[in-house]
Amino acid sequence: MKKAIAWGCLVPTRRSLIGYEAATRKVLEHLGIETVDIPNETCCAPFWMQSLDLTTSIAMAARNLAKAEEMGLDLLTPCSGCFHSYKRVNHVLSNYPDMREKVDSILKSVGLHYDGKVESRHIVDFLYTEIGIDEIQKKSTRDMTGVSIGLRYGCHMLKPHELLNIEYSERPNFADELLEPFGINSVQYPGRHRCCGGLLRGVQDDLADRILHERLIDVNEAGVDGIVTVCSLCHLQHDMGQRGIKRKFEMDDLEIPVIHYPQILALGFGYSPKELGLDLHTIKTDKFVAKVMGGGKR
Amino acid sequence: MEETEKSKAYRGDFPVRDENVDNSFKYEIANQVGGEGLLRCLKCGACSGGCPVGSVIDYRPRKVLGNVLLGLKEEVLSSDQIWLCAACFTCEERCVQEVNFTDVVTVLRNFASQEGNAAPGYVAMAKMVMKNGRVTARTQLVDKMREQLGLPPLQDPAIEQLNHIMNAAGLKRVFEAQKEREDESE
Repeated sequence: MKKAIAWGCLVPTRRSLIGYEAATRKVLEHLGIETVDIPNETCCAPFWMQSLDLTTSIAMAARNLAKAEEMGLDLLTPCSGCFHSYKRVNHVLSNYPDMREKVDSILKSVGLHYDGKVESRHIVDFLYTEIGIDEIQKKSTRDMTGVSIGLRYGCHMLKPHELLNIEYSERPNFADELLEPFGINSVQYPGRHRCCGGLLRGVQDDLADRILHERLIDVNEAGVDGIVTVCSLCHLQHDMGQRGIKRKFEMDDLEIPVIHYPQILALGFGYSPKELGLDLHTIKTDKFVAKVMGGGKR
Repeated sequence: MEETEKSKAYRGDFPVRDENVDNSFKYEIANQVGGEGLLRCLKCGACSGGCPVGSVIDYRPRKVLGNVLLGLKEEVLSSDQIWLCAACFTCEERCVQEVNFTDVVTVLRNFASQEGNAAPGYVAMAKMVMKNGRVTARTQLVDKMREQLGLPPLQDPAIEQLNHIMNAAGLKRVFEAQKEREDESE
């Protein structure tokens, strides 16, 4: 199986996020999926850019899709924002002929063409629906029984489900199921499916803080060993933003490591924490990693 | 953020007078990509009930929709209320009438942006994308960390191509309008 892959802006360029890329590459390689990076990938123009001008945003996102189409490949992405943008491109182009005409002509002016044939999938949804739990089970080498996590799906992999072609959007369980082979305890706690305020960062910072504060209270009370995030914005909020919330709202006992979803899978496949960039996160992951490594080999 | 707490809610003036109302506003919005659902709104408030922003400040999507339907064009487009949505799509998911509030907000923001009322933070991010091809700047430090992790070197984004695309549609006008607005206020 061969797929094009779009990494997004943040994942390959931020210290605490490059582990997401490293782990994703390892997981896909381990499962025998060949990937080709989108050549000279550019910003996917997600929701915040759509806010400024939708037509421009659709044309910007279509640029990367056109590149995937040239290679004759469907697209995977670990970034929920990218996933949402690419899904929107196909939706808009197939439902609004006027918009299609505009976007076609913009692309043509830079020597590109996009037919709308590339199917975009979020990496986590792809692993669940195309690879499946049995395959993950077969490849798992590490038992993580006794490790508890708070799993955050984030918003943009799930909602709205019709646009994104995801079956369960409000109370999903598929990403939890995928971790079952490792014996990990994914705690169902209130607020785990609520927004973290990530898209308000840089625009309404106080508001982003206050929403994140609520989420951190939720997960802190759940008493888990770590937060596991699917969305890169969730990770930036919970990991990079955590110290700020700790000070601002005087949450003295707050210190929860934040792990990328594919890092858990890769640990379960036997990769070492170091090669997954687990030492690069803002909140130290040492205790979490020690607990994982203390578990047995299968 | 203090201002939001004090609820700068479209002056909050009642009764609304005819001269403050633009009857065609809702149709203007409904005619745009993503705006179609607006006219189906029953004002039931399911959107407000699930809103994560509404759980920390006095912000209600239903109120935004109500004001658009009423025709308070100027208030809606110049207010910071339309820039408070965190785009979690919970309301869009739950709305029985498929109003798609988040998409309606996108239309409202596009209109406001054409008039120079875009959120400055988003405009700054768009300029960052024009300059770097990404919304973040690449650093030597992270490049080195990538190398240590065994990741392939970052490819340079196709900036020239992207800039051409960004200048071809309405975004150019958004920058101009923003600049005019800034010049006015100086």
